[in-house]
Amino acid sequence: NLIVSETSAPSGSVCILVDSRCISSGVELLTSLRQRHAATVHVCSLDSSYFIVSNRMAVERQSQSDLAAAQNRKRLAERVNSLQGLFERVCIIVEKDRTKTGEASRPFQRTRYFDSTLAALVRLGVRPLWSDGAEESAGLLADVARLEHRKGHGIGIPVEVKGQHRQQALQLYLSLPSVNYVQALNMSHNFTSIAQLINSPIEAIQKGGCMSRPKAEEIYRFLRYSCDSFLMNMSKSGKNS
Amino acid sequence: MENKAPELLNAVPPYGHMICSDKWRNSSFIQGLKGGGVKIIFETELGVADFLLPNKSSVLYVSECDIIAGSSYKRKVVRYRNAGSSFQELVLVEKTRLSEQYFPAVQKFVVFDLGLSLLPISGQADASQLIAQMVHGEGRENPFRRKSSSRLLDPLVLALVQQIPGVGKVKALVLLRHFSSIQQLCNASPGELEPIVGQAGAQQIHSFFHKHTAGT
Repeated sequence: NLIVSETSAPSGSVCILVDSRCISSGVELLTSLRQRHAATVHVCSLDSSYFIVSNRMAVERQSQSDLAAAQNRKRLAERVNSLQGLFERVCIIVEKDRTKTGEASRPFQRTRYFDSTLAALVRLGVRPLWSDGAEESAGLLADVARLEHRKGHGIGIPVEVKGQHRQQALQLYLSLPSVNYVQALNMSHNFTSIAQLINSPIEAIQKGGCMSRPKAEEIYRFLRYSCDSFLMNMSKSGKNS
Repeated sequence: MENKAPELLNAVPPYGHMICSDKWRNSSFIQGLKGGGVKIIFETELGVADFLLPNKSSVLYVSECDIIAGSSYKRKVVRYRNAGSSFQELVLVEKTRLSEQYFPAVQKFVVFDLGLSLLPISGQADASQLIAQMVHGEGRENPFRRKSSSRLLDPLVLALVQQIPGVGKVKALVLLRHFSSIQQLCNASPGELEPIVGQAGAQQIHSFFHKHTAGT
């Protein structure tokens, strides 16, 4: 388990959650975030490799060439779809490809495919950010996290989850529909017990989970949703596990 | 003429067309677009925006010259944003060998200070290719559009119940047959749970829901 322990953000610095899959490709970026931008970086297990910079915003990082490759589109579409289901705002950092030392940098060949992917993303409200390398990407992440913090959406709770029961509660909150990791963290911090969340009115779920009203309503309804015994019998033999 | 402008600001060009500010009439950008099969309607009263696209986007073009000339581009972008168009607002920025060094500052201003979307292009040829994709893309299905799937909630409820320690799929199904919702299950007393999962199981489930979690 790759939980890197660091405590909650001291005042003035921002907190960024990073998926553990970002580590191998992002050593330089993570180092820069910690050292140059004094950000509190907490590594955790998210559902795919992205960054969480506030209670409502996720940032995906893609190299220019990955964004331009047709074979990646389906996977990228799935990831963007899932992020848009979990977060109110989604940014994508498009990073220039790294050139090996000694290798002449080839100019990026902009294709129709790249343009149409870009147009489609912008159309759906995904905000592109442009970076020339890991160092600059770290700066953009820190900037966007600071901006979100100023707007009152910064991650303001301890990001470490201590103790087995709290870990289990966090996992349960994560299995609520459309709940992202930082909202689950907020819930496990703000509700005294799981039962308190389950019996809370919509307003309290919205406040405790730091989420939008529609999402709080969705959770409220989900917790009271009565399972159809016929469907429950079906799923017994089905492939839902 | 004065009151004509706001109307035009919100005119949606027909599919395959774009509305273009008159000042672009003889540019290589327009040549490129014609080559890309986009039909162009020129308009002198477009106000601050440079182009309007059929997908209800309005586009502002910031050239290399604008950027190198100093901070005057800022006024242009601010005016564009303050025009308050109902369209999606996009800013194309020429990122060239000359303007490259200013690009981070331009991005900070356009995206972080003003909250607009920025797309870099290397010049007018790039821009016409991108705009052509946007104009034609409107007729195609967006590959990133979320399929609004009516998700079945039962499997999600079942999965959540299995997060309770000691409860696997079989026990979860049995529990949900007796207490059909998560809330009912949570509020069941150990006495009510006991006939289904035994005394130890009943205690475990009840305390899982009610045990203190918050605080540090």
